[in-house]
Amino acid sequence: MADRSLDYCGLKCPYPILKLSALYPQFKQGEIIEVIADCPTFEKDIKAWASKLNKTILSIEKMGNKLKVTIRI
Amino acid sequence: MENHPCPYGGYLKCKNFFCEYGNALSEVLHYCCDVLEKIAQGDTSQKIDIVVERNAVQKLINSINKVSEELSEIIELTHELAIGICEHFDVLRRLQEGDFSATASEDSSVEVVRMLGQLINKQRDRFVEYINKIKEQHQELIQSYEQQKTIISSIGVAVIVVEEDMTIEYVNEEFESLTGYTKKEVEGKMKWTEFIAPEMLHKMIEYHKLRRINPSLAPRQYESKLKDRNGKIKDVLLNVGMIPYTKKSIASIIDISERKKIQEQLIHSQKMESLGFLSGRVAHEFNNILTAVLGFSGILYSKIEDPQLKNYVQKIIEASERARDLSKKLLLFSRKEESKEDIQEISLNKFLNEFSEFLKPVIGKDIELKINLPEEEIFYKIDRTHLEVIFMNLVTNARDAMPKGGELSICLKRVSIDAEYSYTHPLVMPGEYLLIILSDTGIGMDEQTKQKIFEPFFTTKPKGKGTGLGLSTVFGLVKKYNGHIHVYSEISKGTTFKIYLPIKETKLKHSIDKNALKGLETILIVDDDEQTRGYISSMLKDYGYKVYEAKDGQEALKIFERNKDQIALSLVDLIMPGIPGIEVMRQIKKIKPEAKVIIISGHPVKLKNIITVEKTISPEEILFKIRNMIDGKE
Repeated sequence: MADRSLDYCGLKCPYPILKLSALYPQFKQGEIIEVIADCPTFEKDIKAWASKLNKTILSIEKMGNKLKVTIRI
Repeated sequence: MENHPCPYGGYLKCKNFFCEYGNALSEVLHYCCDVLEKIAQGDTSQKIDIVVERNAVQKLINSINKVSEELSEIIELTHELAIGICEHFDVLRRLQEGDFSATASEDSSVEVVRMLGQLINKQRDRFVEYINKIKEQHQELIQSYEQQKTIISSIGVAVIVVEEDMTIEYVNEEFESLTGYTKKEVEGKMKWTEFIAPEMLHKMIEYHKLRRINPSLAPRQYESKLKDRNGKIKDVLLNVGMIPYTKKSIASIIDISERKKIQEQLIHSQKMESLGFLSGRVAHEFNNILTAVLGFSGILYSKIEDPQLKNYVQKIIEASERARDLSKKLLLFSRKEESKEDIQEISLNKFLNEFSEFLKPVIGKDIELKINLPEEEIFYKIDRTHLEVIFMNLVTNARDAMPKGGELSICLKRVSIDAEYSYTHPLVMPGEYLLIILSDTGIGMDEQTKQKIFEPFFTTKPKGKGTGLGLSTVFGLVKKYNGHIHVYSEISKGTTFKIYLPIKETKLKHSIDKNALKGLETILIVDDDEQTRGYISSMLKDYGYKVYEAKDGQEALKIFERNKDQIALSLVDLIMPGIPGIEVMRQIKKIKPEAKVIIISGHPVKLKNIITVEKTISPEEILFKIRNMIDGKE
């Protein structure tokens, strides 16, 4: 169960990761965040973002044309 | 554009089934639309690989492929930028949170992102440098603060920091011991005004306010009175200054109670000296007048025949004799007593044992007399009458202070006064003393009375009961023997007198065999004082010596010249009219270089390579020195 859920459907990349970064200072260490987006390049973006910022992607789930990514901060 | 056979123009959703171009063109366009839509969604991997004959369609396909390629680059760049921004954003966030281990990557393919990363890292390094510098300065400040704190706490003087509203912000350990309050109780909790004696409060508050307007308006140093935890008032010297850039003041507090007490002792002693001088002069003049009054009264008495007139003269004589007694007491106080003294070495143990029997009827049955004497017998050179006067006056006063009875104790002991005691009692020199303590459990006296008890004519007794000369006589007698008298008293508890009489070493008395002091040699005595000369001469003769006497240097040198082979030793006074003692000694040595000379003086002196003797030391000691000198032991 995620601590926080963010829905970025309808937003084109790289908006979802930019928005996620902007919200980052509000997150607590160890918090689990769930991000849903439908941009086809979102998976690539979120993976690069997690790698650069040293965050762990817990799961990537496809829900039709949407993608739900769970990350540990 | 050429006319197209298809009436629908070959556009999307063409219904003309028979159109030879329609289906194919429509399919190509549909395909182009699908690809474009995917590209629009951001999927730039889409590409149209088909080749069509129709130039316009092929151009469209080529354009779509080019858009896809170029858009791919733009998207790639956008993503690279976004990721770079996200990463740098995260680094800045960590730095802002104080995590200076955060490092921005400098490997982005996008130049601006790479440079931003470099900039952030440089900025971080600069910050770290500043922070380290601040930390160093902070450490230095802490060290400096600790050093100052240590200095203030170990300075040996009480120090406090006072805020504008009088709250005490800081106190050192000395302040704790001065006031009896702990740091915890005072700092931030107590006001400086709580420590000031009520009579000094107004002045202190005024200074406190003025100093904050302009430090020069209030004195930097002033005396005040401090109240400690037990309500005891202490005289203090304050040194106050403002702490720069604050409204706080720092004050050092020195306890000057002891100093004040010493000052008072000195003033009191000077006052007593002046009184002694004045009363001595008055008594002396008065005595001269009384001599005439008594003398002529005596003549008159012997010449008058009329019994009534004779009676009047008798009354004059009696009154004059009383006046003479009074002036005698005054002279005792002023230490200018003209009567002959009978100074002898007496055993104080024996004296007190005998005298206590005499005292018992004086003090009465209601007062218990306790005599505390040491096992060792104490000898002291004193006029017995003086000792009796001292004890009689003190005992009579003690008796009068205990009308309902009580306890009177007399204690005798030998004490050493060290330099420390001498520091707080500047009139007392360090050394060996005989201490006589006389304590009563009587009514005691207040400080004001205590200050005046030794003054002549001061009395607390009813009119006609006391002359007011008893204690001043005691004071004079104690001073006569270079002693000191201290009084301690508490209302309703009693009074203690402590008399310190200096002891001159008398060890020789017991250790020297009198026969060993005898001699048959000839000695020359040179002294301008006839009495001293005569006294030493007769003492030497008693011990078998032959003696030549000279009243000055000139006479001495003549005698020596004539009898140089006979004279074994010369005793020469240091200070004489005419040729001084040292010069006489030099002249004697000129006549006979191996001549033996001892310089005698009225006070202790130390002269290089010259043997000296004090006139005041015991005869045995003088003889001992002479014998040793003749025998070549000194």
